[in-house]
Amino acid sequence: MNVFDSLVTSNIRQRPLRSAISVVGVALGVALIMIFTGLARGMSNDLQRRSSNVRGEIIFTRKGSMSLVGSATNLSTKYVERLQQIEGVEAATPVIRHIYPSGGIGVDQIEGVEWNDFSRMNGIRIINGRSPVANDEVVIDQTKAARKHPVGGTIRIFGDKLYKIVGIYAPESGARAKLTLASLQETLEAPSKCTYILIKTKPSADPVAVAKLIDQELPGNNVQFTRDVFASVESSIPSLGIFLRVLVALAAVVSALVVMLAMHTTITERTREIGILKAMGASRAYIVGEIEREAILISAMGLAVGFVLALGAGFLIHKSTGLIFEYGWMWALTAGVIGLVGGAIGAFYPAMRAANLDPVNALAYE
Amino acid sequence: MAAAATTGKKVAILKAEKLEKTYRVGKVDVPALRGVSLEVEAGEFVAVMGPSGCGKSTMLHLLGGLLTPTKGRIVIDGEDLTAATDAKRTDIRRRKIGFVFQRFNLFPTLTADGNLRLAERIHGGNGSGDPERRREVLRLLRLEDKMHHKPLELSGGEQQRVALARAVITQPALVLADEPTGNLDSESSAIVLNMFQELNRRFNQTIIMITHNPEAAAACGRIIQMRDGHIVAG
Repeated sequence: MNVFDSLVTSNIRQRPLRSAISVVGVALGVALIMIFTGLARGMSNDLQRRSSNVRGEIIFTRKGSMSLVGSATNLSTKYVERLQQIEGVEAATPVIRHIYPSGGIGVDQIEGVEWNDFSRMNGIRIINGRSPVANDEVVIDQTKAARKHPVGGTIRIFGDKLYKIVGIYAPESGARAKLTLASLQETLEAPSKCTYILIKTKPSADPVAVAKLIDQELPGNNVQFTRDVFASVESSIPSLGIFLRVLVALAAVVSALVVMLAMHTTITERTREIGILKAMGASRAYIVGEIEREAILISAMGLAVGFVLALGAGFLIHKSTGLIFEYGWMWALTAGVIGLVGGAIGAFYPAMRAANLDPVNALAYE
Repeated sequence: MAAAATTGKKVAILKAEKLEKTYRVGKVDVPALRGVSLEVEAGEFVAVMGPSGCGKSTMLHLLGGLLTPTKGRIVIDGEDLTAATDAKRTDIRRRKIGFVFQRFNLFPTLTADGNLRLAERIHGGNGSGDPERRREVLRLLRLEDKMHHKPLELSGGEQQRVALARAVITQPALVLADEPTGNLDSESSAIVLNMFQELNRRFNQTIIMITHNPEAAAACGRIIQMRDGHIVAG
């Protein structure tokens, strides 16, 4: 049996534009799911990877001075000295975390640190070049360096201000670019201020007990664990999970509607053919099955195109903006099921309509 | 093929009793058949003639189970079509009836072979059919070298021969043909009629054919004349 000489495949080939539009419709739904979930997952994993390299267990801030998309530089660096005197604290180092529009999609962040203390506490080392000293010097991690930012080059951080890249550090930790604390204080006009103080506890100390002690000694501030502050994007944005689910539902509706419209049109075009099938003794189930098979084949092609589209779009967006995409099998499976089930559901009404056509009227259809 | 035909005993393959069909057009009842009774024996080749609007096509649609009568009874090869549900009627049509239409009604996207296989698939489920029967039908209808052509690549006569092959490939008890030569020139008509006769003779195929053409009717063993919803002769 020639598979291309069946009603399902021959109808798809006979109406290439309609088939292509249907395939693209399903593909867009699938690609939307893959791109958004891939971006959320990629950014979340990237944040977690980088935060896992921050070795200081406790973060000391003013209340409400840090969020996922913003931070204030309102904590006095004088707290560093007082924190170092608390029992169980091995080291404390001030950090300015500044978030600014990236110029592309979304926001970017930069950190101002006292390099020697910060790198020692977090086990970071310069693998190329040297550490920043002057106010116009910056060090970056390998990921940022890979985007055509070599040592000796310059990088634009705040508007038109150019910074010299003096070194590349590893492993990646927190923001991908780091200035000296003094440099960022000057730029932000916040002398003797920082966003938070990163605290490393002694190996013998219990971080929970140390955090309690800090809260008692310096009340009215915020004492948090690093692991909680740099949690995943999903948990940092409570509505993200809902957003992703709504997106998946929308993609399903889009897929179903596109297939429904396409199949509705094709049933109208093929009314006489449905009449012939009925005259030949095709049952309702057979007619529904034929139309569903066609819809599922179109949806399967849409899935394939959608996955390729998502991979291509992810690659291009990453190249142009640095946003990270990580596609998961579970979401791919979800997108696949959504595409196929959406297509099958979308085709069901036109299929039932076809199955219930009056054969004599259908045969007389012009 | 119907069991009755294979025994050689003359048994009615079709029995229609007091068939009435009234269409409702707006608020008006329009009678199309006014009490038609008909019996066709296995292996008969019957022509149905009559002026336009006399009820020929309505009768054919009733006999094929595409319509239900307002009154009366139809029994095909022992199965009561009028007592059957819609699904059962479809099943009887699938097993016992083959249609040939004036406009051929082939699937334009399928080859001749694809059209035949579709009929076999609907009839038997797997589309394989009886290879011997298939070869014989194709040889008889001189279609062996046309099987990979699509309908638009075939002449009208060839398309009607494919439609005829599609109707008989599943060995129906009854073939219902609605003006099968109405869209053909006289040469193609003669060829198609000849093939109807061949099928009738070779396979003892029972055929009921609506026609306006007296020459076509002359090719049949019996002619039924209809007028105003009644059978007036035959």
